[in-house]
Amino acid sequence: MDDLEKAIVISFDESGAVDSVLKSQAVAFVQQIKETPSVCSICIEKLCFCKLVQVQFWCLQCLHEVLRAKYLSMMPGEKSFIRKSVFGMACYESLNANDTNCVRLLDGPAFIKNKLAQVVVTLIYFEYPLIWPSVFVDFLPNLSKGAAVIDMFSRVLNALDDELISLDYPRTGDELAVAGRIKDAMRAQCVPQIVGAWYDIVLMYRNSDPELCASVLDSMRRYISWIDIGLIVNDAFTHLLFELMLVDGLPDQLRAAAAGVVLAVVSKRMDPKPKLALLQSLQMNRVFRLVARDGDSELVSSVASLLTGYATEVLECSNSLSLEDGKGVSLELLNEVLTSVFYVMQNCEVDSAFSIVQFLSVYVGTMKGLSTLTETQLLHVGQILEVIRAQIQFDPMYRSNLDVLDKIGREEEDRMVEFRKDLFVLLRNIGRVAPDVTQMFIRNSLASAVSSSEDRNVEEVEAALSLFYELGESLSDDAMRNGSGLLQELVPMLLSTKFPCHSNRLVALVYLDTINRYMKFVLENTQYIPMALCAFLDERGIHHPNANVSRRASYLFMRGVKLLKAKLVPYIETILQSLQDTVAQFTKMDSVSKEFSGSEDGSHVFEAIGLLIGMEDVPLEKQSDYLSAMLTPLCRQVEVALVNAKSQNHEGSLAHIGNIQQIIVAINALSKGFSQKLVITSRPAIGLMFKQTLDILLEILVVFPKIESLRCKVTSFIHRMVETLGTSVFPYLPKALEHLLTESEPKELVGFLVLLNQLICKFGVGVHDILEEVYPIIASRVFNILPNNDILSGPGSCTEEIRELQELQRTFFIFLNVIATHNLSSVFLSPKSGGSLELMMQFLLHACCNHKDILIRKACIQIFVRLIKDWGTDPNGEEKVPGFRSFIVGAFATNCCLYSVLDKSFEFRDANTLVLFGEIVMAQKVMYEKFGNLFLLHFVSKGFSNIHCPQDLAEQYCQKLQENDIKALKSFYQSLIEKLRLQQNGSLVFR
Amino acid sequence: MALPNQQTVDYPSFKLVIVGDGGTGKTTFVKRHLTGEFEKKYEPTIGVEVHPLDFFTNCGKIRFYCWDTAGQEKFGGLRDGYYIHGQCAIIMFDVTARLTYKNVPTWHRDLCRVCENIPIVLCGNKVDVKNRQVKAKQVTFHRKKNLQYYEISAKSNYNFEKPFLYLARKLAGDPNLHFVESPALAPPEVQIDLAAQQQHEAELAAAASQPLPDDDDEAFD
Repeated sequence: MDDLEKAIVISFDESGAVDSVLKSQAVAFVQQIKETPSVCSICIEKLCFCKLVQVQFWCLQCLHEVLRAKYLSMMPGEKSFIRKSVFGMACYESLNANDTNCVRLLDGPAFIKNKLAQVVVTLIYFEYPLIWPSVFVDFLPNLSKGAAVIDMFSRVLNALDDELISLDYPRTGDELAVAGRIKDAMRAQCVPQIVGAWYDIVLMYRNSDPELCASVLDSMRRYISWIDIGLIVNDAFTHLLFELMLVDGLPDQLRAAAAGVVLAVVSKRMDPKPKLALLQSLQMNRVFRLVARDGDSELVSSVASLLTGYATEVLECSNSLSLEDGKGVSLELLNEVLTSVFYVMQNCEVDSAFSIVQFLSVYVGTMKGLSTLTETQLLHVGQILEVIRAQIQFDPMYRSNLDVLDKIGREEEDRMVEFRKDLFVLLRNIGRVAPDVTQMFIRNSLASAVSSSEDRNVEEVEAALSLFYELGESLSDDAMRNGSGLLQELVPMLLSTKFPCHSNRLVALVYLDTINRYMKFVLENTQYIPMALCAFLDERGIHHPNANVSRRASYLFMRGVKLLKAKLVPYIETILQSLQDTVAQFTKMDSVSKEFSGSEDGSHVFEAIGLLIGMEDVPLEKQSDYLSAMLTPLCRQVEVALVNAKSQNHEGSLAHIGNIQQIIVAINALSKGFSQKLVITSRPAIGLMFKQTLDILLEILVVFPKIESLRCKVTSFIHRMVETLGTSVFPYLPKALEHLLTESEPKELVGFLVLLNQLICKFGVGVHDILEEVYPIIASRVFNILPNNDILSGPGSCTEEIRELQELQRTFFIFLNVIATHNLSSVFLSPKSGGSLELMMQFLLHACCNHKDILIRKACIQIFVRLIKDWGTDPNGEEKVPGFRSFIVGAFATNCCLYSVLDKSFEFRDANTLVLFGEIVMAQKVMYEKFGNLFLLHFVSKGFSNIHCPQDLAEQYCQKLQENDIKALKSFYQSLIEKLRLQQNGSLVFR
Repeated sequence: MALPNQQTVDYPSFKLVIVGDGGTGKTTFVKRHLTGEFEKKYEPTIGVEVHPLDFFTNCGKIRFYCWDTAGQEKFGGLRDGYYIHGQCAIIMFDVTARLTYKNVPTWHRDLCRVCENIPIVLCGNKVDVKNRQVKAKQVTFHRKKNLQYYEISAKSNYNFEKPFLYLARKLAGDPNLHFVESPALAPPEVQIDLAAQQQHEAELAAAASQPLPDDDDEAFD
């Protein structure tokens, strides 16, 4: 070893065995050599004589780097020397064949040969075709030297593809141009010879060196997309390729490589007509049988890819060709290959470039608009349905994970939901083109799933039911009601079936959802009502051992009752009986410890019962019996709990809270079924029962004034009773409001304001007296809690608290707006409100001008507009509210209607802001109507002149204001503001 | 040919090459394993650093000599010279930087030029970062080249073991091989949002059923 060789070996060492000083010396030395002018000849000499792979690799790497960096500045002699030497190495030449010290790189490991190929390709990059036009032509005669050179030639071609041609890598524009130049030159000069060489090599070596042939075929596969396809698709070559695939006994690797080449041929981009001719000429049916071989061999997967690729191309031809151009032929080819494609989908690993769903969707798309399908098409539809069913099945491996829904189960369920989406779209499309086949398929699936073996039945039943469920989505309302086709048979079959695996969560859920989906059929075919009821009420539904399923069943049952209720009167007795235990169970549960929250809490059972017993069709006596049977025990429970709570210590009473909460939820749900008309007008006895209930539930507020969850539930019950009892609720309000008002945390106040808003919206001036009582209290509380200015969320502030304050502020503004717009503004003036009026006006004004939420600004301006209308009087008359006029004209008009609009943050392009602007213009109009010249005096003479508004614009404004066209005023005022903004150029800030 | 001359151990050991653009987190990833040291701030790797990482499988202990190579070209050293005799590899990209994914094919090509037919794992790192630019379903390269893909977060240790387990199984030819003992990892610096990540994994699984985009479809332009 000389110094360079030693240094290279050392610099490659990462074992830590080399002294670090020595290593850095070695690295520096190697670097120094790299920078000497004669580095290329040093490298070439080493490549001819040194057997150390590190040295060989380093020299090739160095040649590559130097060529790339310095090629343009090299002398022609040096370039020619490199070219000849490198080419010689690639062609297995040695300087002196008799010299045993001579090294031949082609005898070395693959990575040395690949590195050499990279150097050759770098030369091709700079020199082909202008300087070194003969590179490929010179290579060809050397191929006769045998496998080593052929292998090297394939490596060069592959490297050329990887480094320059293939579009799999990011390329610069320059590189693309060079690639184009090289491809053009090769096509014109040597591609036919290269293809000829490929043919000869494969023919000659297929038995003796199949690996070599496979690598030649791999190069070929890469080049087919840009060479003349006629060179490959001809009797000789096509015959050879198919022979390779078909002859048993050849190694799989070689046969698979041949399939890869044929796939490249069928995938070549061509016009549809010649493409179809090509596809037809291949007689692809010869290889169909190959996919049916056992096992996951390389050959099977390669032929599988070939068939799916071929089928995609044939389908594309049939879609783009007209009848006279060969659509028929392409459909024939398609029908021929489809059976194999279905086999591949079901049994093989599918090629990553092939999408089953996309392919099948396009295929099914070809059937759209056909009046009848051929027998073959119907057969294929059946096979597609098979594929869908197989694809949507869960793996039994996850069965218990999915049943208990642990982390793994949840992941698998999410994955499947996502995965199924496209397949179900496909299913529905099939349902439209071939409804009978689809329904028949589903019927058979259900039947066979029921009787399938235990290790698969859960998954098969789940899949069959899911198919049936999804089919429902594509059915028209009429088809659903009348039970078109097999539905007449399918729905009863569904209702009457008890699957052996019904205890499984997924099966039970999809079963119930499917029944719910087909409920309209039951509506029209009332003989099935008892069966449908059974499904919901027995252990398939509400009595299912899994709480998750049972709650879902309650919800779906309620939906069913809503739909069918008029027809359910005769069954009420039975239903109530079978729900007795569930009803009792519900109020025993402690909702706090419940693991399931959310909307499906089981209370829907009560809603369903309410819907049933609340119908007018139920005779009064029955109705009051049913209702009292429901309400009495619940109310009794509450009363007992309240009495106990009074006598018990704090902890003892806490135990009741969850319980009471559940009862309120239940009563609330139950009452939804009773209309105001029934309860108040036609059957006051029923109304009385609800009033008594309300009385009892209000007592909860007295006993547990500080339990937020209970207040919340009682409040929503009062909301409910406002709707059900109408004005009859009035006598209860003072007590309710008094107790609800005892707590004044922001959150509680919000709930309270929402209730008041409901009352005002429903009863209007009817609640004037109540409001007059509570408004002063609310106002003083709110003004105490809320800051005068913006609610700031600075660092160190608690975000949850701020969110609550913002919510309170928003609700309070809405509350004020609701009061004002329901003719109740006199409430603000009541003597009890005391000083709050002044505060409120300041508060509103600030919000009008500055609030970040445009909708709140709008609500506040609407309040002012109403107040101006209600309280504004002629400037000469006596004021209704002393000081109001000057506040409006002096503060509101200029600050809100002028300065806040001039601010650049007032964005005219925003739709909400534009609506707000409309309100602002409206406010001006109303002020002018009420205050006349007094308003003009302030707004125009003072306001406008303050901001140097040109006289002519001010005059135009006055004129527009006096006209009766609010639209014209609005657009004029907008243009005025925009002009003023320009004039100020944003330099002045008004505030 | 013993290259390089690593000190030998009496249990199976493999040379693992880690490549990918600079800043994708190769060094951070390797250093999560506490037989290596621990480093927070970004210092570009010069040339290569070799870390022996041990794992305990049901078939006994194995060692990966992780060759953590420089991602930045100017610090390349011997570059693809370091790949020689690599027995398995990890290609790393950063899901918050598109360009690093775009360069994956080039890393793969350069790797395969030197190491033909070795098992390779593609890793999308930094999935703990909220604002990712390469969505799970946009990652398709591994399907074209038959690589394994994992989403990882070196900072939070998320999926740290997965690439090693996959490679160990491939190298041992035993699909049932498993780790019996977790390696000592540096404590996570961030908590990954598991819910969001599960969403990505679901997307990824769903994406696996989609066809690959055409080669001339540039998903990222």
